[in-house]
Amino acid sequence: MQLTLEFGGGLELLCDSVKIHNVNVEPQAEGKKLTMKHLLSWVRTNLIKERPEMFMKGDTVRPGVLVLVNDCDWELSGQLETVLEEKDAVVFISTLHGG
Amino acid sequence: MFAGPLEYFHNPIEVYFCMIVKSEKKKIGKMACNSATCQSGCYGDEHSVDEDDQKRPPVQEDGVSAGGGNFNCDGLCIKCKVNETIAATHPAVSEGGGDRGRFCADCFRSNLFGKFRFAVTSNAMISSSDNVLVAFSGGPSSRVALQFVHEMQQKAQKNFEASRDRLLPVFGVGVAYIDESTIYPVSSHDYDGAINQMKLIVASLAPPAKQFFVVPTQSIYSHDSTDGKDRLTELFGAVSDITGKEDLQVHLRMLSLQKVALENGYTKVVMGTCTSQIACHVLEATVKGQGFSLAADIQYVDARWKIPVVLPLRDCLSEELNMCCILDSLKTVEAFQRPRSGINGLISSFVKLLQEENPSRESTIVRTAGKLTPFCFNRIPEVGDNNGCLATKRRQKKYNLKPSESLPPESYCLICNNPLKKPNGTSSNHFHDGRASSEIYASTCSSCQYQILPKDPTLLENFFLLLPQSMTTLAKDSRDNHKLLRDQIQDCLLSDSDDGA
Amino acid sequence: MASEVVDATAAKPRGGRFCTVCNDRRPALKRPKTLEQICKECFYAVFEDEIHRVIVDNHLFKPGERIAIGASGGKDSTVLAYVLSELNIRHGYGLDLFLLSIDEGITGYRDDSLETVKRNEIQYGLPLKVVSYKELYGWTMDEIVKLIGLKNNCTFCGVFRRQALDRGAALLKVDKLVTGHNADDIAETVLLNILRGDIARLSRCTSITTGEDGPIPRCKPFKYTYEKEIVMYAYFKRLDYFSTECIYSPNAYRGFAREFIKDLERIRPRAILDIIKSGEDFRISTSTKMPEQGNCERCGYISSQKWCKACVLLEGLNRGLPKLGIGRTRGLNNESNKDMKETNGTKGLQSKQCGTLDF
Repeated sequence: MQLTLEFGGGLELLCDSVKIHNVNVEPQAEGKKLTMKHLLSWVRTNLIKERPEMFMKGDTVRPGVLVLVNDCDWELSGQLETVLEEKDAVVFISTLHGG
Repeated sequence: MFAGPLEYFHNPIEVYFCMIVKSEKKKIGKMACNSATCQSGCYGDEHSVDEDDQKRPPVQEDGVSAGGGNFNCDGLCIKCKVNETIAATHPAVSEGGGDRGRFCADCFRSNLFGKFRFAVTSNAMISSSDNVLVAFSGGPSSRVALQFVHEMQQKAQKNFEASRDRLLPVFGVGVAYIDESTIYPVSSHDYDGAINQMKLIVASLAPPAKQFFVVPTQSIYSHDSTDGKDRLTELFGAVSDITGKEDLQVHLRMLSLQKVALENGYTKVVMGTCTSQIACHVLEATVKGQGFSLAADIQYVDARWKIPVVLPLRDCLSEELNMCCILDSLKTVEAFQRPRSGINGLISSFVKLLQEENPSRESTIVRTAGKLTPFCFNRIPEVGDNNGCLATKRRQKKYNLKPSESLPPESYCLICNNPLKKPNGTSSNHFHDGRASSEIYASTCSSCQYQILPKDPTLLENFFLLLPQSMTTLAKDSRDNHKLLRDQIQDCLLSDSDDGA
Repeated sequence: MASEVVDATAAKPRGGRFCTVCNDRRPALKRPKTLEQICKECFYAVFEDEIHRVIVDNHLFKPGERIAIGASGGKDSTVLAYVLSELNIRHGYGLDLFLLSIDEGITGYRDDSLETVKRNEIQYGLPLKVVSYKELYGWTMDEIVKLIGLKNNCTFCGVFRRQALDRGAALLKVDKLVTGHNADDIAETVLLNILRGDIARLSRCTSITTGEDGPIPRCKPFKYTYEKEIVMYAYFKRLDYFSTECIYSPNAYRGFAREFIKDLERIRPRAILDIIKSGEDFRISTSTKMPEQGNCERCGYISSQKWCKACVLLEGLNRGLPKLGIGRTRGLNNESNKDMKETNGTKGLQSKQCGTLDF
């Protein structure tokens, strides 16, 4: 499944300072849907190069990291349970950096 | 000079620790004069401090995690320099932080008891004519409170028997456990075992004999107990927020204590609340928006209740109390201890983390909040009207109160009995429909509105009916009482300003 | 940790609802303050309107005033500059707005963020003034770090920045300085002051305007604005901001307090506003000793001591004794030293001191 992932607010520093990643992620199992929960662990394994604790805490994003799926706050789509579809755009923004 | 009996000074232990702090500022940290009760000139006697320094073997850096290791070269108590430290005598004890490497069991214990006694005497918590009720949860803090009150009573008893005229009576002690199994059910086996354990604990603390009360929360309802049980269950079912549930439980616990104290002729309620719990409460109240009333909850004395509540362990850390239980083999009852949840649980783990990072953090938090201006009810009410006014003035000086700040608050929250900042006219604008519901809303604090009251205004009236009557009338009563008190104080203040002019 | 607030939308597929304000468009975010689900357009409107209300209700500005916006190039000050210039036109505040930036002299950090501010100057049409540590003090942070190492450099930077903002504001001849401190920042400061035992700062830190007795008052129009909304606003509006941690304090934003605030927000979003309310309501006796304000004998800057903290630090630097004014426990500047003791060696309580505009 083709997805566009964007890291902002300083999170890009955790993945070689690249902001936009076009990636191909498959659901956990055949016939299952791809959820944010699975995507997060995929990102952690495949994209985050350093200090993963800045990105995740437990099985979700660290408090203070905003997530948008297709420009919509993931708190409206069920957070970890949000189901992703082909060509979806997911944005992660840290609010923790200086202002 | 410090080896003599404790009675030499007001509180020689404090004096002692204040003096060593000069050379050991960092290492001793927690034991130093951050207890807010230290009123001794800490740096008074430079000479003896230096002497002290030379004699004392070098103390190693705080060894909280180094289990069982020797902290002093010779493993001797840094106070009496005779006995071995707790770390040496009780290698299995892991609580108590750096204390175990610095003090022997006796010196540690007498220091802890000294803090308790100083709190009791300097705040007039217990007088000889009192009948005190110790609130006992089974946990280490209230266990130590019970133990110390008992020891104090024993001493008073000895003095009484030794005195010729026998004029000063010995204060009475009772013990109450608030049974919350209706709110959080426990298996009947655990329950019976735990209650029996408590009975044994109380029975072992004699003479003088102490009455032990097991009070179910539903006793706050005046009707028969099955009806009360149902109402209580329904009341808790109506609170959706888990933090709100927990806080409501605490408020009801206080009501239950007040009820049993009042009905059985007790004149003080002793709580085992310690520094660590108060530190958590400071942050909890802050996070819940209760900044205005916070100062009311964290003083040695809280006399907003009919029976004044006192906190003699306010200056003791929970790890000290845990260690005291281990050293003295004081039995505690674990069956009813529940981890905290929601906002309170988050704060508990945050404070624990802070305390691990810096062993004086809890004391610092309590000291900060201690600088907030307390309320007029944060002292033992004076008996007799003649000197009431004088005493008020004296107190004001101590607290640096402006006259307006010492006036009793106008009103109290119906649910948590916290002083309200001002008559809550503005916040009731959510509800224009029912008169009753908007009245309830106006007589609660914003925190209770959010986490305890139902969100749906149509459910508000039913919720009000589920509350115990003592709660709903308490608010009205205290409003009247305090209005009276206000008027009296107002008179004093007027004459006061006349003097100044 | 389970959310306390039952999320009604949790189970529903996305986009199943409409904006609670306009009831027309698809919602784009959930407001932490009200838990409303609203669309981008309504979000812009309520976000800007709330800030306008704060400005009006607290009488932050008078017509004709010259206002400097402390601009770091970060999210808060960028959004502040954008929103203030919008509101100034929309509601006819009649303000002369300026951007004021401090160049600490940190290669690879501040020079990049200054580029952002320079773009903001053009984008929002606000004149920019940059004052540098080099011109004010004769030292860049790079040079200071070379001399003193990484341990105490945040103290220097913080003390110098505070003064530099005042001096820059004086150069611009402005009446007021506004900073981008948001609700999360203020809640964090309240907590930190409780944890440190600093009652004097605890009583001051929730005021929306401070320093009214000093030469240039400062105010915080974002006092009640959630960080989440500021970041969402900047993201949706594609505002050009810079977000990199300061290279000299890579751990600064790992502070306990900040993390705690974010944990709290997750279980109870309103906790942030409740902390601020507590901070405002604390009964702090005004007769508590406040440090007496005088002027520094050396540079004339307001100071409760003979010399201001910046002059003490500077003297140390110039005499090759950079520890001067840092290590001492008693004497010249007690209050700021207390903070030093706390942060020394403990990563914990040090939090977001860098990269942001200090109080």
